[in-house]
Amino acid sequence: MNCEEARFLMMGYLDGELTEEQKEAFLQHVNQCPDCQAEWRGFKSLKEETGKMKFRALPEMFWDDYWQHVYNKIERGIGWIFFSLGAIIVLGFIGYEFLKDFLLNAQEPLLLRVGVGLLVFGFIIIFVSVLREKLMVRSHDKYRRIVR
Amino acid sequence: MGELKLKDMTDQQVVQACLEGDKESYRIIVDRYKERAYYLALMFTKNHEDARDLSQEAFYRAYRALTDYDPSRPFYSWFYRILKNLCINFVNHHKRKLPMDDNLEKTTMAEGGFPDEIFEKNERAAILWKALSQLPEKDREIIVMKEFNDFSYQEISDALEIPLGSVMSRLYYARKKLLKKLQQFEGDL
Repeated sequence: MNCEEARFLMMGYLDGELTEEQKEAFLQHVNQCPDCQAEWRGFKSLKEETGKMKFRALPEMFWDDYWQHVYNKIERGIGWIFFSLGAIIVLGFIGYEFLKDFLLNAQEPLLLRVGVGLLVFGFIIIFVSVLREKLMVRSHDKYRRIVR
Repeated sequence: MGELKLKDMTDQQVVQACLEGDKESYRIIVDRYKERAYYLALMFTKNHEDARDLSQEAFYRAYRALTDYDPSRPFYSWFYRILKNLCINFVNHHKRKLPMDDNLEKTTMAEGGFPDEIFEKNERAAILWKALSQLPEKDREIIVMKEFNDFSYQEISDALEIPLGSVMSRLYYARKKLLKKLQQFEGDL
Protein backbone atom coordinates (compact mmCIF):
# COMPACT_ATOMS: atom_id res chain seq x y z
CA MET A 1 0.00 0.00 0.00
CA ASN A 2 1.35 3.45 -0.86
CA CYS A 3 0.79 6.69 1.07
CA GLU A 4 -1.96 7.92 -1.25
CA GLU A 5 -4.05 4.81 -0.72
CA ALA A 6 -3.38 4.97 3.02
CA ARG A 7 -4.52 8.61 3.20
CA PHE A 8 -7.90 7.81 1.75
CA LEU A 9 -8.28 4.75 3.98
CA MET A 10 -7.34 7.00 6.88
CA MET A 11 -10.72 8.71 6.45
CA GLY A 12 -12.54 5.39 6.53
CA TYR A 13 -10.64 4.35 9.64
CA LEU A 14 -11.41 7.65 11.34
CA ASP A 15 -15.12 7.32 10.56
CA GLY A 16 -15.38 3.61 11.33
CA GLU A 17 -16.20 2.67 7.76
CA LEU A 18 -13.45 0.15 6.95
CA THR A 19 -13.67 -3.62 6.70
CA GLU A 20 -11.39 -5.67 8.97
CA GLU A 21 -9.13 -6.38 6.02
CA GLN A 22 -8.84 -2.69 5.10
CA LYS A 23 -8.17 -1.77 8.72
CA GLU A 24 -5.35 -4.25 8.94
CA ALA A 25 -3.73 -3.05 5.73
CA PHE A 26 -4.07 0.57 6.79
CA LEU A 27 -2.58 0.02 10.27
CA GLN A 28 0.28 -1.95 8.82
CA HIS A 29 1.18 0.98 6.57
CA VAL A 30 0.71 3.71 9.17
CA ASN A 31 2.86 1.92 11.73
CA GLN A 32 5.77 2.02 9.29
CA CYS A 33 5.24 5.47 7.75
CA PRO A 34 6.12 8.59 9.82
CA ASP A 35 4.49 10.96 7.28
CA CYS A 36 1.16 9.15 7.47
CA GLN A 37 1.46 8.96 11.26
CA ALA A 38 1.81 12.75 11.42
CA GLU A 39 -1.22 13.20 9.18
CA TRP A 40 -3.16 10.70 11.23
CA ARG A 41 -2.55 12.65 14.42
CA GLY A 42 -3.83 15.86 12.79
CA PHE A 43 -6.99 14.24 11.46
CA LYS A 44 -7.64 12.45 14.73
CA SER A 45 -7.52 15.66 16.73
CA LEU A 46 -9.76 17.38 14.15
CA LYS A 47 -12.28 14.58 14.46
CA GLU A 48 -12.20 14.92 18.24
CA GLU A 49 -12.81 18.65 17.98
CA THR A 50 -15.75 18.34 15.60
CA GLY A 51 -17.12 15.62 17.87
CA LYS A 52 -17.16 18.14 20.72
CA MET A 53 -19.37 20.54 18.76
CA LYS A 54 -22.79 19.75 20.16
CA PHE A 55 -26.06 21.07 18.81
CA ARG A 56 -28.05 23.03 21.32
CA ALA A 57 -30.60 20.71 22.85
CA LEU A 58 -34.19 21.64 22.04
CA PRO A 59 -37.08 21.31 24.47
CA GLU A 60 -39.14 18.17 23.95
CA MET A 61 -42.23 20.28 23.21
CA PHE A 62 -40.45 21.63 20.11
CA TRP A 63 -41.26 18.37 18.36
CA ASP A 64 -44.80 18.04 19.69
CA ASP A 65 -46.73 19.11 16.61
CA TYR A 66 -44.00 18.52 14.05
CA TRP A 67 -45.69 15.52 12.45
CA GLN A 68 -49.10 17.17 12.59
CA HIS A 69 -47.83 20.05 10.45
CA VAL A 70 -46.38 17.68 7.86
CA TYR A 71 -49.61 15.69 7.84
CA ASN A 72 -51.69 18.86 7.39
CA LYS A 73 -49.54 19.88 4.45
CA ILE A 74 -50.09 16.47 2.85
CA GLU A 75 -53.84 16.68 3.39
CA ARG A 76 -54.05 20.26 2.18
CA GLY A 77 -51.88 19.49 -0.82
CA ILE A 78 -54.52 17.07 -2.06
CA GLY A 79 -57.19 19.67 -1.21
CA TRP A 80 -55.43 22.30 -3.30
CA ILE A 81 -55.39 20.01 -6.33
CA PHE A 82 -59.16 19.52 -6.07
CA PHE A 83 -59.64 23.22 -5.38
CA SER A 84 -57.71 24.17 -8.53
CA LEU A 85 -59.46 21.63 -10.73
CA GLY A 86 -62.88 22.60 -9.38
CA ALA A 87 -62.20 26.32 -9.79
CA ILE A 88 -61.02 25.85 -13.38
CA ILE A 89 -64.11 23.78 -14.26
CA VAL A 90 -66.56 26.24 -12.62
CA LEU A 91 -64.92 29.35 -14.05
CA GLY A 92 -64.57 27.64 -17.42
CA PHE A 93 -68.28 26.87 -17.40
CA ILE A 94 -69.16 30.46 -16.43
CA GLY A 95 -66.86 31.77 -19.15
CA TYR A 96 -68.45 29.46 -21.70
CA GLU A 97 -71.98 30.51 -20.69
CA PHE A 98 -70.97 34.16 -20.90
CA LEU A 99 -69.42 33.82 -24.36
CA LYS A 100 -71.69 31.09 -25.68
CA ASP A 101 -73.46 33.34 -28.19
CA PHE A 102 -70.17 34.49 -29.62
CA LEU A 103 -68.44 31.10 -29.60
CA LEU A 104 -71.33 29.32 -31.33
CA ASN A 105 -71.96 32.08 -33.84
CA ALA A 106 -70.97 30.57 -37.19
CA GLN A 107 -70.83 34.02 -38.73
CA GLU A 108 -67.77 34.91 -36.67
CA PRO A 109 -64.45 33.63 -38.10
CA LEU A 110 -63.54 30.20 -36.65
CA LEU A 111 -59.97 31.30 -35.92
CA LEU A 112 -61.21 34.25 -33.87
CA ARG A 113 -63.63 32.06 -31.88
CA VAL A 114 -60.90 29.49 -31.14
CA GLY A 115 -58.53 32.33 -30.17
CA VAL A 116 -61.03 33.94 -27.79
CA GLY A 117 -61.84 30.53 -26.25
CA LEU A 118 -58.16 29.78 -25.62
CA LEU A 119 -57.58 33.30 -24.30
CA VAL A 120 -60.36 32.98 -21.74
CA PHE A 121 -59.38 29.44 -20.75
CA GLY A 122 -55.72 30.46 -20.34
CA PHE A 123 -56.74 33.47 -18.27
CA ILE A 124 -58.80 31.25 -15.97
CA ILE A 125 -55.88 28.87 -15.38
CA ILE A 126 -53.52 31.78 -14.63
CA PHE A 127 -56.11 33.39 -12.36
CA VAL A 128 -56.61 30.18 -10.35
CA SER A 129 -52.86 29.65 -10.12
CA VAL A 130 -52.22 33.21 -8.87
CA LEU A 131 -55.16 33.01 -6.47
CA ARG A 132 -53.84 29.76 -5.06
CA GLU A 133 -50.34 31.19 -4.69
CA LYS A 134 -51.66 34.31 -2.92
CA LEU A 135 -53.70 32.23 -0.52
CA MET A 136 -50.78 29.91 0.20
CA VAL A 137 -48.28 32.74 0.69
CA ARG A 138 -50.76 34.47 2.98
CA SER A 139 -51.01 31.43 5.19
CA HIS A 140 -47.23 30.76 5.26
CA ASP A 141 -45.46 34.11 5.00
CA LYS A 142 -44.71 35.36 8.48
CA TYR A 143 -43.06 38.48 7.03
CA ARG A 144 -46.26 39.61 5.31
CA ARG A 145 -46.88 42.37 7.85
CA ILE A 146 -43.45 43.89 7.32
CA VAL A 147 -43.76 47.17 5.40
CA ARG A 148 -41.46 47.12 2.42
CA MET B 1 -47.08 -4.34 20.11
CA GLY B 2 -48.55 -2.96 16.88
CA GLU B 3 -46.66 0.30 17.48
CA LEU B 4 -43.42 -1.62 17.96
CA LYS B 5 -43.97 -3.44 14.70
CA LEU B 6 -44.59 -0.19 12.82
CA LYS B 7 -41.38 1.30 14.16
CA ASP B 8 -39.44 -1.74 12.99
CA MET B 9 -40.49 -1.17 9.39
CA THR B 10 -37.66 -0.30 7.02
CA ASP B 11 -37.82 2.96 5.07
CA GLN B 12 -38.62 0.98 1.95
CA GLN B 13 -41.54 -0.77 3.64
CA VAL B 14 -42.87 2.55 4.89
CA VAL B 15 -42.61 4.10 1.44
CA GLN B 16 -44.45 1.13 -0.02
CA ALA B 17 -47.22 1.52 2.57
CA CYS B 18 -47.50 5.23 1.74
CA LEU B 19 -47.73 4.47 -1.96
CA GLU B 20 -50.56 2.09 -1.16
CA GLY B 21 -52.43 4.98 0.45
CA ASP B 22 -51.46 4.70 4.13
CA LYS B 23 -50.56 8.33 4.83
CA GLU B 24 -50.22 7.77 8.59
CA SER B 25 -47.29 5.40 8.14
CA TYR B 26 -45.24 8.29 6.74
CA ARG B 27 -44.99 9.44 10.34
CA ILE B 28 -42.39 6.70 10.92
CA ILE B 29 -40.09 8.27 8.33
CA VAL B 30 -40.71 11.78 9.66
CA ASP B 31 -39.97 10.71 13.24
CA ARG B 32 -36.89 8.83 12.10
CA TYR B 33 -35.30 11.74 10.23
CA LYS B 34 -36.86 14.93 11.59
CA GLU B 35 -33.91 15.85 13.80
CA ARG B 36 -31.33 15.33 11.09
CA ALA B 37 -33.48 17.25 8.63
CA TYR B 38 -34.09 20.06 11.07
CA TYR B 39 -30.44 20.50 12.04
CA LEU B 40 -29.37 20.42 8.43
CA ALA B 41 -31.87 23.16 7.58
CA LEU B 42 -30.65 25.10 10.61
CA MET B 43 -27.15 25.16 9.14
CA PHE B 44 -28.58 27.09 6.21
CA THR B 45 -31.26 29.26 7.80
CA LYS B 46 -29.59 29.88 11.15
CA ASN B 47 -32.93 30.31 12.83
CA HIS B 48 -35.14 27.72 14.42
CA GLU B 49 -38.50 28.66 12.99
CA ASP B 50 -37.36 28.71 9.36
CA ALA B 51 -35.42 25.48 9.85
CA ARG B 52 -38.57 23.83 11.16
CA ASP B 53 -40.73 25.16 8.32
CA LEU B 54 -38.24 24.14 5.66
CA SER B 55 -37.67 20.66 7.02
CA GLN B 56 -41.45 20.11 7.24
CA GLU B 57 -41.89 21.41 3.71
CA ALA B 58 -39.16 19.01 2.54
CA PHE B 59 -40.98 16.07 4.14
CA TYR B 60 -44.18 17.15 2.42
CA ARG B 61 -42.47 17.47 -0.97
CA ALA B 62 -40.74 14.13 -0.50
CA TYR B 63 -44.14 12.56 0.21
CA ARG B 64 -45.55 14.01 -3.00
CA ALA B 65 -42.58 12.66 -4.95
CA LEU B 66 -42.44 9.19 -3.35
CA THR B 67 -43.09 7.52 -6.69
CA ASP B 68 -39.70 8.88 -7.86
CA TYR B 69 -37.84 7.34 -4.92
CA ASP B 70 -35.63 4.36 -5.78
CA PRO B 71 -36.05 1.88 -2.90
CA SER B 72 -32.64 0.34 -3.52
CA ARG B 73 -31.07 3.59 -2.28
CA PRO B 74 -31.03 5.05 1.25
CA PHE B 75 -34.09 7.24 1.83
CA TYR B 76 -32.24 10.04 3.59
CA SER B 77 -29.81 10.54 0.69
CA TRP B 78 -32.73 11.08 -1.65
CA PHE B 79 -34.53 13.29 0.87
CA TYR B 80 -31.34 15.29 1.44
CA ARG B 81 -31.38 16.54 -2.15
CA ILE B 82 -34.94 17.82 -1.77
CA LEU B 83 -34.15 19.54 1.52
CA LYS B 84 -30.90 21.02 0.27
CA ASN B 85 -32.56 22.55 -2.79
CA LEU B 86 -35.25 24.08 -0.60
CA CYS B 87 -32.65 25.52 1.75
CA ILE B 88 -30.57 26.95 -1.09
CA ASN B 89 -33.67 28.59 -2.58
CA PHE B 90 -34.54 30.00 0.82
CA VAL B 91 -31.06 31.45 1.37
CA ASN B 92 -30.89 32.91 -2.14
CA HIS B 93 -34.34 34.43 -1.76
CA HIS B 94 -33.35 36.11 1.50
CA LYS B 95 -30.00 37.27 0.12
CA ARG B 96 -31.85 39.04 -2.69
CA LYS B 97 -34.24 40.64 -0.22
CA LEU B 98 -31.81 41.78 2.45
CA PRO B 99 -30.10 44.81 0.85
CA MET B 100 -33.46 46.43 0.13
CA ASP B 101 -35.12 45.59 3.39
CA ASP B 102 -33.60 46.89 6.58
CA ASN B 103 -36.39 45.61 8.79
CA LEU B 104 -36.00 42.08 7.58
CA GLU B 105 -32.23 42.25 7.86
CA LYS B 106 -32.47 43.24 11.51
CA THR B 107 -35.03 40.55 12.22
CA THR B 108 -32.92 37.84 10.61
CA MET B 109 -29.73 38.93 12.29
CA ALA B 110 -31.31 39.19 15.71
CA GLU B 111 -32.73 35.70 15.34
CA GLY B 112 -29.54 34.15 14.08
CA GLY B 113 -26.69 34.79 16.47
CA PHE B 114 -24.47 32.25 14.77
CA PRO B 115 -23.07 29.79 15.75
CA ASP B 116 -24.28 30.20 19.36
CA GLU B 117 -27.83 29.75 18.16
CA ILE B 118 -26.98 26.33 16.79
CA PHE B 119 -24.14 25.01 18.89
CA GLU B 120 -23.49 25.01 22.59
CA LYS B 121 -21.20 27.87 23.56
CA ASN B 122 -17.60 26.86 23.06
CA GLU B 123 -14.83 29.15 21.88
CA ARG B 124 -13.05 26.41 20.01
CA ALA B 125 -16.24 25.49 18.17
CA ALA B 126 -16.57 29.08 16.96
CA ILE B 127 -13.05 28.99 15.50
CA LEU B 128 -13.73 25.65 13.89
CA TRP B 129 -16.94 26.95 12.36
CA LYS B 130 -15.20 30.06 11.08
CA ALA B 131 -12.57 27.89 9.40
CA LEU B 132 -15.25 25.63 7.98
CA SER B 133 -17.24 28.53 6.58
CA GLN B 134 -14.21 29.67 4.60
CA LEU B 135 -13.84 26.39 2.75
CA PRO B 136 -15.14 25.97 -0.80
CA GLU B 137 -18.80 24.91 -0.88
CA LYS B 138 -18.04 21.34 -2.00
CA ASP B 139 -15.60 20.73 0.85
CA ARG B 140 -17.83 22.32 3.44
CA GLU B 141 -20.79 20.27 2.33
CA ILE B 142 -19.12 16.89 2.69
CA ILE B 143 -17.71 17.77 6.12
CA VAL B 144 -21.08 18.99 7.35
CA MET B 145 -22.73 15.83 6.04
CA LYS B 146 -20.28 13.59 7.84
CA GLU B 147 -19.60 15.48 11.05
CA PHE B 148 -22.89 17.21 11.78
CA ASN B 149 -25.54 15.21 9.99
CA ASP B 150 -24.45 11.61 10.66
CA PHE B 151 -24.26 10.54 7.03
CA SER B 152 -22.72 7.14 6.40
CA TYR B 153 -20.34 6.86 3.44
CA GLN B 154 -23.04 5.00 1.53
CA GLU B 155 -25.49 7.84 2.13
CA ILE B 156 -22.94 10.45 1.06
CA SER B 157 -22.16 8.43 -2.03
CA ASP B 158 -25.85 8.30 -2.97
CA ALA B 159 -26.65 11.89 -2.07
CA LEU B 160 -23.72 13.36 -4.00
CA GLU B 161 -23.86 10.70 -6.72
CA ILE B 162 -20.18 9.83 -6.42
CA PRO B 163 -18.52 6.40 -5.98
CA LEU B 164 -17.78 5.21 -2.44
CA GLY B 165 -14.03 5.51 -3.04
CA SER B 166 -14.46 9.17 -3.97
CA VAL B 167 -16.21 9.83 -0.67
CA MET B 168 -12.97 8.99 1.14
CA SER B 169 -10.80 11.03 -1.22
CA ARG B 170 -13.09 14.05 -1.08
CA LEU B 171 -13.27 13.87 2.68
CA TYR B 172 -9.49 13.63 2.83
CA TYR B 173 -8.93 16.79 0.78
CA ALA B 174 -11.73 18.68 2.53
CA ARG B 175 -10.41 17.84 6.00
CA LYS B 176 -6.88 18.64 4.91
CA LYS B 177 -8.04 22.13 3.86
CA LEU B 178 -9.92 22.54 7.12
CA LEU B 179 -6.82 21.64 9.13
CA LYS B 180 -4.81 24.14 7.13
CA LYS B 181 -7.35 26.90 7.79
CA LEU B 182 -7.37 26.08 11.49
CA GLN B 183 -3.59 26.28 11.59
CA GLN B 184 -3.79 29.69 9.90
CA PHE B 185 -6.23 30.95 12.53
CA GLU B 186 -4.12 29.56 15.34
CA GLY B 187 -1.08 31.30 13.85
CA ASP B 188 -3.04 34.59 13.79
CA LEU B 189 -4.02 34.34 17.44
